[in-house]
Amino acid sequence: MASSSLDHTLTLDIPFETEAQASIAMRVLQPDPILRPQDFEVTYSTRGASLVVSVASVDDRVLRVGVSNIIDSIKTIVETADELSLQQ
Amino acid sequence: MVNLNTVPPRNNRDYYIAIGLEGSANKLGVGVIKCSRSAHMASGDNSHNCDVEILSNIRNTYVTPPGEGFLPRDTARHHRNWCVRIIKQALEEAEIKNPHLDIDVICFTRGPGMGAPLHSVAIAARTCSLLWDVPLVGVNHCVGHIEMGREITKAENPVVLYVSGGNTQVIAYSENRYRIFGETLDVAIGNCLDRFARTLKIPNAPSPGYNIEQLAKNCKNKDSLIELSYTVKGMDLSMSGILAYIDTLAKDLFRGNKKNRLLFDKETGEPKVTVEDLCYSLQENLFAMLVEITERAMAHVNATQVLIVGGVGSNTRLQEMMGQMCKDRANGKVHATDERFCIDNGVMIAQAGLLQYRMGDYVKDLSETVVTQKFRTDEVYVSWRE
Repeated sequence: MASSSLDHTLTLDIPFETEAQASIAMRVLQPDPILRPQDFEVTYSTRGASLVVSVASVDDRVLRVGVSNIIDSIKTIVETADELSLQQ
Repeated sequence: MVNLNTVPPRNNRDYYIAIGLEGSANKLGVGVIKCSRSAHMASGDNSHNCDVEILSNIRNTYVTPPGEGFLPRDTARHHRNWCVRIIKQALEEAEIKNPHLDIDVICFTRGPGMGAPLHSVAIAARTCSLLWDVPLVGVNHCVGHIEMGREITKAENPVVLYVSGGNTQVIAYSENRYRIFGETLDVAIGNCLDRFARTLKIPNAPSPGYNIEQLAKNCKNKDSLIELSYTVKGMDLSMSGILAYIDTLAKDLFRGNKKNRLLFDKETGEPKVTVEDLCYSLQENLFAMLVEITERAMAHVNATQVLIVGGVGSNTRLQEMMGQMCKDRANGKVHATDERFCIDNGVMIAQAGLLQYRMGDYVKDLSETVVTQKFRTDEVYVSWRE
């Protein structure tokens, strides 16, 4: 059970307005540890102005819960970036 | 010697501006403070006397229906929904035009508290920090309460009684730590009151403890207390047994359980006590326990002042009882603040965070901003005091 393969995967591709914003989102999300690393893995990267979230998990229930939490955090980041960015 | 002026303010200002974000329980608070960089802060021990000016102090509380507590998941959702709006409002009220130039540091609660709500606010804090290019400071919630209390009341070195929904601690400062002299062994006093309020099905607005206090004030026979156990254990106290017992009494009263001779008259079957009596007796009993351990801590460290902080600290009966004890002890003095600063708020996080920042202690890598549910008061190295 301990070394079961994380074969349930999902990739999210989230467009931001600028590359800088996508990179900020990645840096904000990265520090938080995963509570059960043996059941759930996530990597964040950027492609242009997009944030790419790659998730792998032991089953679809864990996947759903994990992804839902990540999306909640991303919603906060997007709202903060929309409302509180410095005026150019 | 403590030099609080090591880090110069940004943009060649002669004052610091800090924003504090608090969301460790059901209150979401954002506050902005301004603090001059005066010469007297460069030496000596002046962290209780910073001339703080409060530019804004916004709070939004997640209030649940009567009989229900707040759950981490729902509280986190509340904080996520309100966070950006509250930050925006706080900035507008403080007339911050350009956060990049006008703010020195963003302070947020790193713990202790409920994980999910803490995390949701930390996400917003990190994002703001990167958007504005302003450094972050992670603050211990308890230290936030203590520093705000000291600044408001100017109490230099008091014994601190920290009483809230999640914590009950008697604290005294010694050698760069806020050391815990005594604390609860099980539930916090605020938790005890909140849960009793749930049993009574009284409203959770403005706060369950406040509503219990009002009921207790209306108690008609204050001379005859309902007997409750008095569970002081050395410097610590225990409250879960008292809660369980008074919960049973309240339920018997509501159900009209006439077999309970404590509550109902043997002959007539008329109730002998009211809900108000229960609230009064509970408060008196719990607060007496708090006063006892606080007094013992004062004797240990030879202090004359007490500072009461935390949500339960806004209870006027507790302040009164503590004041009586202090008066009886060689002209001591009790310091307390009102609900703006007692109950969780953003300003206190800004105050403690700014002190930390001025000592050069701020986040260098975002991995230091991971929130933690367990974060004891004495884990923090208090570099800003002698």
